[in-house]
Amino acid sequence: MAIMNRRDFLRLGSLLALSMGLGESLAPRLAEALEELTLGQNPILWLQSQACSGCSVSFLNSDDPGPAELLTTYINLLFHSTVSTATGDLAAQVVNGTIKKGGYYLVAEGALPATMEEACIFAGEPMTKLVTEAARKAKAVITVGSCASWGGVPAAENNPTGATSVPDYLEKQGVHPTLIRLPGCPVHPDWVVGTLAHVLGFGLPELDHFKRPLMFYGKTVHDQCPRFAYHEREQFARSFAEEGCLFELGCVGPRCFADCPQRLWNSRTNFCIRAGAPCIGCANEDFARLANFPFYPKGMDFSQRREIVLPKGFK
Amino acid sequence: MAKTFVIDPVTRLEGHLSVRIEVADGKVTEAYCQGEMFRGFEQILRGRHPMDAQQITQRICGVCPISHGIASVLAQDAAYKVSPPPNGRLLRNLVQAANYIQSHIVHFYLLSALDFVDITAVLKYTGDSPVMADLRGWVERQLKEKLIYPAAPFLPRYEGKYLADDAANFMAIRHYVEALEMRQTAHQMVSLFGAKVPHSTALVPGGITEKVTARAIVAYKSKLEKLRTFIRDAYLPDVVRVAQAMPDYFEIGKGCGNFLAYGVFPESDAPDDAFFPSGVLTKGQLQPLSTAKVAEHLKFSKFDARASGRHPYQGETIAQPAKEGAYTWLKAPRYDGQVMEVGPLARMLIAYHSGKHPEIVKSVDALLAAVGGKPEHLDSVLGRHAARALECQIVADKCLDWLAELKPRESSFNEFELPQTGEGAGLTEAPRGALGHWLVLEEKRIKSYQCIVPTTWNCSPRDDKGVPGALEQAIAGTRVESPENPIEVARVVRSFDPCLACAVH
Repeated sequence: MAIMNRRDFLRLGSLLALSMGLGESLAPRLAEALEELTLGQNPILWLQSQACSGCSVSFLNSDDPGPAELLTTYINLLFHSTVSTATGDLAAQVVNGTIKKGGYYLVAEGALPATMEEACIFAGEPMTKLVTEAARKAKAVITVGSCASWGGVPAAENNPTGATSVPDYLEKQGVHPTLIRLPGCPVHPDWVVGTLAHVLGFGLPELDHFKRPLMFYGKTVHDQCPRFAYHEREQFARSFAEEGCLFELGCVGPRCFADCPQRLWNSRTNFCIRAGAPCIGCANEDFARLANFPFYPKGMDFSQRREIVLPKGFK
Repeated sequence: MAKTFVIDPVTRLEGHLSVRIEVADGKVTEAYCQGEMFRGFEQILRGRHPMDAQQITQRICGVCPISHGIASVLAQDAAYKVSPPPNGRLLRNLVQAANYIQSHIVHFYLLSALDFVDITAVLKYTGDSPVMADLRGWVERQLKEKLIYPAAPFLPRYEGKYLADDAANFMAIRHYVEALEMRQTAHQMVSLFGAKVPHSTALVPGGITEKVTARAIVAYKSKLEKLRTFIRDAYLPDVVRVAQAMPDYFEIGKGCGNFLAYGVFPESDAPDDAFFPSGVLTKGQLQPLSTAKVAEHLKFSKFDARASGRHPYQGETIAQPAKEGAYTWLKAPRYDGQVMEVGPLARMLIAYHSGKHPEIVKSVDALLAAVGGKPEHLDSVLGRHAARALECQIVADKCLDWLAELKPRESSFNEFELPQTGEGAGLTEAPRGALGHWLVLEEKRIKSYQCIVPTTWNCSPRDDKGVPGALEQAIAGTRVESPENPIEVARVVRSFDPCLACAVH
């Protein structure tokens, strides 16, 4: 993608002047100054690749601060494809201009199609290239969601695009930014806002070997589960109509690292296990990856009792 | 001579879309919608356990995951020959309805409003709303600082004609901020019965895993009442104000004129007993739906064209990214060989013509009277916005009936046995229109899974006969004052509420 040139700056300057009611006569002067200007405090560039926008939608579910307060008080969200007013050339220019300037935090959503770069294009260029460029100039890269963090559903077995997590792709390009992984399908808004607040206010939070903040991913779902007592009493539900531990229905809470049972979702309204739905391990590295590792082991074949097989690594 | 311009990317919609237009004498002569992102869900699903599908397919789209979950459990219900108990059906409706409300509010305020509303008007605000004063203060500070992109992500923007009435702008900007909170409230309603959202884990074949409690009914109702007030006092009046200020958009964005709906919100176990009925409307004539007439064309899509023209039960999705002549990752679905528009406008028109809902006929007529439009004006940019807003109100009102039918202590799930083989079609309506999942089972595994999604219909490329898709037809003929600043085209595109992650999947 072309780096922003002087002509682009001039055009952008004139559009900005018009937008702000400053009149076109001011446009050239503004454009002169543009090269001297800054991205502001806490600049964020949010790029979506092979994503479903679920993490963006989830981010909008943040409260204390809510999204409007976030955008006007805590961060400068320079570009986000679903929110930005800028469209077409203008959007491409904002992204290019930001990357040229450097020094922003890159929030990456979605996997990258490593073996089929045509499978994700932005402004005529492969997203693989744009994310690599953006990561090179970023202060830090924060991968939101399981697709960007691990590859997720796009990287599941039999996928045709060679979908790869952002850290793995960057590694292959020889780009090694400061990295934080925030997996989850989608990411919880608190995980993003809490991480940004820590990074911007206090520096890097304490991370595990996968670069996940321990404050959110330090314990398994099982260890915090409201149905833990059922598990200890070996009272296992064998149908969604029954009360009990959901282990026999496929729950992978014992091997999923996330704080959902404590934090709950959608402004503390509910979460999977409380609603009688097994944890499907959406924050896990292997989430949805293997075709023969079904979410619900016996497929609700109620005639047969499933033999309890502990997942790998669980004692 | 026509000159080509590309709007790339089209922002404020879900996913990666670019639109190529040819402009001659200030008018678009041809348009090409280009879906720019592909993941391959249909291959990923093959060979998997069928109950993975309602989880995997929700990941097609984070804006309307619920509708994919519903389509998938409906396809499985049909294949396993199970139907949910009344509580299960009602909770599915309530979860899906809450996501409709969320999606429609997001579409009007977050995705579309800034095409009409003058956000810079906030600088002129002198009233006493703290929200507006804060916003003005923020923009002023941003302007004083030496920022390249002051007031991002709300500026820069295409220049053009925006609402001139400051009072209307102030109102809409305040409602934009309020809408952010309202959509969160709607998501909380989804979560009450759906576990969490995006991506509900509670949706399963045979019903839903969450139980009905009086506490949850009351919580849902309390949140619903806030939304009903917002829809009545903010959303609908804002749409009317935009319509009154820019009535020319009743003439702009006229589509193919054919409308398709699969029907949504089942009222009983009986087939075709949906609150919004199914049907096909061509040349103003309503016909019953026959899904056997659905086929996908692949000539201009980046897929192996040998599978072109097939019904989704026989469909294939074999990527050919460098295929000659192909310009998009979308397939081109056709009904009986014809282009179809889907979405709230299609649903409202089909309900209007079905005669099943005198109250919908009354609401549509009342809204048209309020904006001074005629029924034929509905096929337009403003018609789509108006239909969406009206539907949002009708769905929110209908939730009260479903809540009243819920029975605590009764199950919301029916058990089933997984058959060795079978097939099932899951037909529903996502907020953006007709959604179908087609599942074929073999040895208790997925043999084939095909999805035809609303935006696949709306943003489809040309079909094998070269006939442009619904949005391509709606853009053609649009006048653009400045082709480098094609805000008129952007307005037409956004009126369809495209969702590209859905369309390609």
